[in-house]
Amino acid sequence: MQLYHIALNNILRRKVKMLFVLLGLLIGIATMVSVYGVVEAMRTEMTRQVAQFGANVIITPDAGELTFSYGGITLPAVLFDVEQLTGEDVAAIENISLREAIRAVAPKLLGLAVAGGGHLGDANAQNVVVVGVNLQQEFMVKPWLRLRSAEEMQSDEQYTPERSNVPAADTVPEEKKEMDFAMLDLAREDLTRLVLSDEQILVGSTLAATLGVMEGDLLTLSGQEFQVFAVLKDSGSAEDEQILLNLSAAQALLGRPEQVTLIELAADFTLGSEEVLLSQLREALPNVEVTSLRQEALRRDEMITRLVRFGTSVSVLILFVGMLVVGLTMSGAVRERTREIGVFRAIGFRKSDVAKIILLEGLIVSVLGGMLGYFVGMAVAYYAGPLLANMSIQVPWRLEIFGLAVLLAILIGLLASIVPARQAAKLDPAEALRFI
Amino acid sequence: MAEIMIAMKQLTKAYKSMGDEVQALRGVSLDIEKGESVAVMGQSGSGKSTLLSILGGLNPPTSGSVEVDGIDVYALSQEMRADFRREYLGFVFQQFQLIPYLTALENVMLPLTTIRKSNKEKREIAGSVLCRVGLAGKMNRLPNQLSGGEQERVAIARAIVNEPPVVLADEPTGSLDTKTGDEIMALFQRLNQDGLTVLMVTHNPDNTRYMSRTIIMKDGQLCTDKAELLQLVSAGKR
Repeated sequence: MQLYHIALNNILRRKVKMLFVLLGLLIGIATMVSVYGVVEAMRTEMTRQVAQFGANVIITPDAGELTFSYGGITLPAVLFDVEQLTGEDVAAIENISLREAIRAVAPKLLGLAVAGGGHLGDANAQNVVVVGVNLQQEFMVKPWLRLRSAEEMQSDEQYTPERSNVPAADTVPEEKKEMDFAMLDLAREDLTRLVLSDEQILVGSTLAATLGVMEGDLLTLSGQEFQVFAVLKDSGSAEDEQILLNLSAAQALLGRPEQVTLIELAADFTLGSEEVLLSQLREALPNVEVTSLRQEALRRDEMITRLVRFGTSVSVLILFVGMLVVGLTMSGAVRERTREIGVFRAIGFRKSDVAKIILLEGLIVSVLGGMLGYFVGMAVAYYAGPLLANMSIQVPWRLEIFGLAVLLAILIGLLASIVPARQAAKLDPAEALRFI
Repeated sequence: MAEIMIAMKQLTKAYKSMGDEVQALRGVSLDIEKGESVAVMGQSGSGKSTLLSILGGLNPPTSGSVEVDGIDVYALSQEMRADFRREYLGFVFQQFQLIPYLTALENVMLPLTTIRKSNKEKREIAGSVLCRVGLAGKMNRLPNQLSGGEQERVAIARAIVNEPPVVLADEPTGSLDTKTGDEIMALFQRLNQDGLTVLMVTHNPDNTRYMSRTIIMKDGQLCTDKAELLQLVSAGKR
């Protein structure tokens, strides 16, 4: 028999009371953990998005209040039925005085084309997003883009039953079937050597699997035949679902000559002030929207900071209420146990022994509350986090947060138990046993 | 001359009740020898329970002194007095006062909680004491699974597990039927014969048969009137 046996047995006996104490701590800790988990995951996701974005300035047509999300960052709408950018806008960028601070200018035209028809038959036709780009510049602003390796291509070849729908190169006219695989291999090694003809396209990995096409295959887009030069490696980005082709080829295919949907810039702000560059761009392109992703990220960061403040305030408040619940419940339990404590004192327990029993009870419930609070908080963050944050986030399980949650719970539990413990220790044993 | 185990000198105790000062004890002096068993009788409010709580180191007297085995109890600090209670005194309370969420064995182990012994040793000691009071087969039962007499035996086992020289009992048979009460008194008698000094507050004159001495308290003082004493005892026997 040790003091903790008494504490543990009492907890087990007073299940409902102890459940209240547990809930008081659990709700506080769970709130803190979930807020922290969501905010941390948001920060991580923001950092990832910003880091992944080779481009840091986006130029789009001035679209008023319409917005769209590009790579998880909200931008003015650029798609259809709004005033379009043109090649002249691209040329205007070349003439600004801080041009050397811009590492890459990647204009692009987005549109929909019908893939299939022709060889695939009308039944297999489907709308696909085609993006006309300047390939070299595009790969600079999107450093995660890679071509699929030869091994991946071979392993895929064995498991692509849809390929039977696609005409083999030997069944199509002679002039179209030649695929320069040596060129593809070179392009895999060095992306700067990647040059497409206007009849060649790059297909995103997911789309390639859906369409059942691979390197060297022919694909009809809105009635025009293209050769798949390469399939892009799976990157988890929007390009997995897109077809990339030369800007001029896309303009011809979509019947939108000279038009550009948006221009992405990779600017190096170490070579010139961000503010100056943005103002020069706005001056050179008066009727367009120039958005700095860094500023957008900062704006988001500010929002997250506000969220942290709010979340922390709410958590602290809930933890404080939890502490009061623990303190009041334990204090009530001490009053109920007056006689029992009197017996302890009479049979030789010191005041400190009695206080230890109450503190041990607080400690045991706190540890349990901290552990459960962590798991409940993480579950809330995991399931409700993406909804709260309004973005796709991954809440990581972190051992140090678990440790902190338990430590915080212990701290609160013990602080709340101090008053009841003192109250128990100070009980007059004679009074408690009502000898008089 | 026999060794004095408990020496009370000129004990007084006054306390406030509803704004009035009540004299619970008015100069009680009493010596109890080692191995003696003393029944303290008296009407409600006569001061017998106050005497017991003062003797138990739980309730400081207004004046006077208490010595147990030569130790001046109230010269000790509060925490030392707790240690003194553990070492020198065993308490048997009214209504047993067992801890409801601990088994019989754990209740008996309670006074051993704060001493440095392994759990195994503590279990062995408590187990042997429970055997001694006739509860060998019921060690793992909770108090509410025991009869009144059995709960009283657990309470006695708890009082003697630390092998104190003195046991103080407050109405130990008050809530038991006559037969069970007699069994418990026989147990006290046996413990006393084994060398334990027993001081028992009781309302039941029958219990005095098992004790070596009976004292009567009246209005906070020891009653010295032998006629009154005889009358009280014989009234109980009728």
